[in-house]
Amino acid sequence: MKKVLLPRTLCELWRHWQDEPGAAIYAGGTDLLVQMRNAAVHPPALICLERIAELRGIETEGDGIRIGACATHAQLLESALVQQRLPILAQALAVLGSPPIRNMGTIGGNICTASPAGDTLPPLYALDAEVELCRRDGVKHMALQDFIVSPGQTRIDKGEVLTAIWVPKAEGYNLQHYEKAGQRQALAVSIASLAALLRLSAAGLVEKVRLAWGSVGPTIVTCPAAEEALVGKRLTLETLQQAAALVRQSVTPISDVRADAAYRRALAGNLLLRLLAVPR
Amino acid sequence: MKKGLLGVGYAVPRQDAWTKVTGEEKFAADYYPENLLWAGAKRAGVSHGRILRVDVAAAQALPGVVAVLTRKDVPGTNRQGIVHKDQPVLAGEKVRHRGEPVALVLAETREVLAQALARIRVEIEPLPAVFDPEEALQPGAPQLHERGNLLLRAKIEQGQADEAFKECDVVVAETFEVPFQEHGFLETQNGLAWQEPDGSIVMIVSTQAPFRDRFEIAHALGLEMGAIRVISPYLGGGFGGKDGATVQCLLALAAMHAGGRPVKMWWDREESFIAGYKRHAARLYYRAGAKADGTLHALHCRLYYDSGAYAHLGGEIMELGMEHAGGPYRLPHTCIEGWCVYTNNPIGGAMRGFGVCQVSFAFERIMDLLASKLGLDPLDFRRRNALQRGDKNCAGVTLVHSTGLVPCLEAIKRHALWTDREKWKQGAGPFKKRGVGLAAVFNAMGYGRGLPDSAIAKLELTPEGKFRIYNSVPDMGQGNATAFLQMAGEILGQDASRLELVPPDTARSLPSGSSSASRTTYTFGNALIRACQEMKEKLCHRAALVLMTDEVRGFALVPGKVRHLPSGRNLDLEFLAGLFPETDRSSVSQFVMPVAQDVPDTGKEFFIGFPHVFFSYAAHLVYVEVDELTGTIEVRDYLAVTEGGRVINPQGFEQQVQGAVAQGIGYALMEQVLLHQGEILNPNLTNYILPTSRDIPGIESMAVETVEPTGPFGMKGIGEVGANAPLPAIAAALEDALGLRLTRSPFTPDRVLGKMSQGAR
Repeated sequence: MKKVLLPRTLCELWRHWQDEPGAAIYAGGTDLLVQMRNAAVHPPALICLERIAELRGIETEGDGIRIGACATHAQLLESALVQQRLPILAQALAVLGSPPIRNMGTIGGNICTASPAGDTLPPLYALDAEVELCRRDGVKHMALQDFIVSPGQTRIDKGEVLTAIWVPKAEGYNLQHYEKAGQRQALAVSIASLAALLRLSAAGLVEKVRLAWGSVGPTIVTCPAAEEALVGKRLTLETLQQAAALVRQSVTPISDVRADAAYRRALAGNLLLRLLAVPR
Repeated sequence: MKKGLLGVGYAVPRQDAWTKVTGEEKFAADYYPENLLWAGAKRAGVSHGRILRVDVAAAQALPGVVAVLTRKDVPGTNRQGIVHKDQPVLAGEKVRHRGEPVALVLAETREVLAQALARIRVEIEPLPAVFDPEEALQPGAPQLHERGNLLLRAKIEQGQADEAFKECDVVVAETFEVPFQEHGFLETQNGLAWQEPDGSIVMIVSTQAPFRDRFEIAHALGLEMGAIRVISPYLGGGFGGKDGATVQCLLALAAMHAGGRPVKMWWDREESFIAGYKRHAARLYYRAGAKADGTLHALHCRLYYDSGAYAHLGGEIMELGMEHAGGPYRLPHTCIEGWCVYTNNPIGGAMRGFGVCQVSFAFERIMDLLASKLGLDPLDFRRRNALQRGDKNCAGVTLVHSTGLVPCLEAIKRHALWTDREKWKQGAGPFKKRGVGLAAVFNAMGYGRGLPDSAIAKLELTPEGKFRIYNSVPDMGQGNATAFLQMAGEILGQDASRLELVPPDTARSLPSGSSSASRTTYTFGNALIRACQEMKEKLCHRAALVLMTDEVRGFALVPGKVRHLPSGRNLDLEFLAGLFPETDRSSVSQFVMPVAQDVPDTGKEFFIGFPHVFFSYAAHLVYVEVDELTGTIEVRDYLAVTEGGRVINPQGFEQQVQGAVAQGIGYALMEQVLLHQGEILNPNLTNYILPTSRDIPGIESMAVETVEPTGPFGMKGIGEVGANAPLPAIAAALEDALGLRLTRSPFTPDRVLGKMSQGAR
């Protein structure tokens, strides 16, 4: 049996952590507990963040939205603020895991797991989200794409926890689209995914575009060249195919038990073509 | 207290539904008696090799370890297997697949068990291995068994296939390939066993075949069959995966070294994948021809079934596949050749559809190819060639029992999903293509000739005036227990509160065949009906004595009573039960399934199981939508029309059909055991992809109710037939949508997209 500590405040957290410096920090446990069952990790104790009041809540802050790191996927999905202001995140959450996983898993956990297949990550990259990291004596902020280094690796320092995600005001995007390709319709790990945010003029020209792909590289992949190829253009099959070709060149997918690299590469481009079919 | 009517022909809720939902019903896995020990197997982790040494000293030294057993501790033959006894309980000299058990540990806790297993050092000298059935037949291939790699080679012939091809106006040929499929039941293989002071073994185990388990355990461990008692509670799923020894022999061996303490063995999901058996992978070479008028004329096929390391029921599974290889059609000239071959892959074994799922894919696609070449409508082409009573099937057996494929096809033809299909296809959105596919299938019922398909039912009037049915055939979820209660309720005129069902227990129930082969409700139901009728007659006679009526006419059973209808006088069953000794309060009846009387002069290699004479039929229609950007196939609508004689319980019938279709959709779209050099790359439910509720559309189930006069209340078994159709139907729909033919299943998005890009080139 392992000791599981359930702090209710950040103060309690620091105290527990001092007592159990080797403890694994977690929230929903949807990744950690699976790894422990597989004997991939053997933490001496566990500290669960999900009851810490400071780490919950979804609220506007300045121009943007602050999401507590321990907000569950289900809470985010139900949040009117998320539905209205961050529809692309809501789209991604709707296809994340399954209802039980969405009830347990948290957005902070999805970020700290740093899997290229994390479903919240492409939307958060496209939205230029920042992370808020707290340690006993201070707080710091960092762009999400700087925070995530490689699969399972982040720039979180010893003694720090991820406390919140801050999403800046979106730039008037009037086409927001998330799509995940997986091995089945639910409870699927992404084979490739795309978050696309576009602002189209009344005439249908692309004024601004942000694109981020999941599962086609060691971290979320962005492709400024593909974005540039679309700016100022109308969304036609030809334009999108040009951008798709650029994307296929810049992704670095792997082959694994779910799919091979060639399929992932093809998908990375193909998912972009879907923008033609998104109702707007 | 269970209440409510119990009769035949209407939707009676499952009698085990409430107790399962509340958790009151105990599955084998739910038994945790005091003083429990845990048993677990050390597995080889090598696909083929010679065992040099099994060093158990470090494991034995661990506190909490009660015993560590190896080959030398196994008494008896050390061989298990249902027909071919070729599988060691614990391997001593050779390992033939990675999941081979080489040592057995008994420990005080699960944690100590895991530590002890990790401390066992097994030295195995690797041998060259073979993973493909056709390669395994090549000269110079590594040999798994002393008698070689060929488990069974057989041929079913009728007419003159070679000559007949010359008479065909169109001939098509294609090769098909299907992977191993996992059963994926919720309750993984497990059991609890202990040794009684007299040396006998009692086992509560998740099994489909409690009576046969006794033979297997006794043979393998050198025990007296009578000294083994097997109790089979409801199963948390079986699908064929618990038809044959899983934990049984290891668990009995463990119990023999536990000093009377109860021992539990419960494979976790990974072990269930690695050690459990699976639906056979197969490669199928087909050639078939028809006349210009749309009459099927000739078939030649060569079927290779991958049995993995051991036989299990490989030969019998291939037999059933071969018997169905020509589909549910008149085919005057057939040459069906089969090879069931040992490889160093995981063990192939029984699974719903038992060899028929594989060939259904091939023959139904061949039908579409022929129809297309002949310019015929695929439904009309099937209907024209569909087997009818009096026809001979592709194995040469005359169909003398209910044969209802034609009405199934006609029901499809009348259905809106068929008539409106072109309109639906035109409504596809951007980057979507729609297609509609049809498949007609059949599935034999029972063991076939050579192995009596028998059941013995026992019924008892309790001193309280209730009826107790001693069930001999496990209910793995298919609902036979409820069907038995319905049949007894119908004949005995009782409601649910007056009927009890004792779960299969070799010490209390009477020997019967397994819960398998779509035979469970048919065979035991027939035995039970006779036992109920005898009991009813007996009670009416006894009541006539008590009421001093001159004749037995005019008596009827009503809830709790025997009533003399002319006079309106009642006798309580409880009162009646008190008048007679226990020996007089029971009735026992046996039923043996009829067999084919015109055994064709072919298939001589099968010493049991050939041929069959009862078949259920089905025609399925599927709507699929394919995404051109991702290759994803979405099943949008599904119609399954099934002929299985009369329906005992429409709800149970529908659930069986829906479950079979769901499993078949998984088989078509996503399920596959991924293997590399005999190692399972996805031995877990994270990467072995089963369909979720989101992957399965609404499934409309229609019954074509023929009457099978030999069946209980006119029924035949339908547990398997529905699993055979989704794969070929979806393949047909895919071809309809894209104009592309996929011959290797499952149709995963990457394969579909790959095929599309090839097609575009």
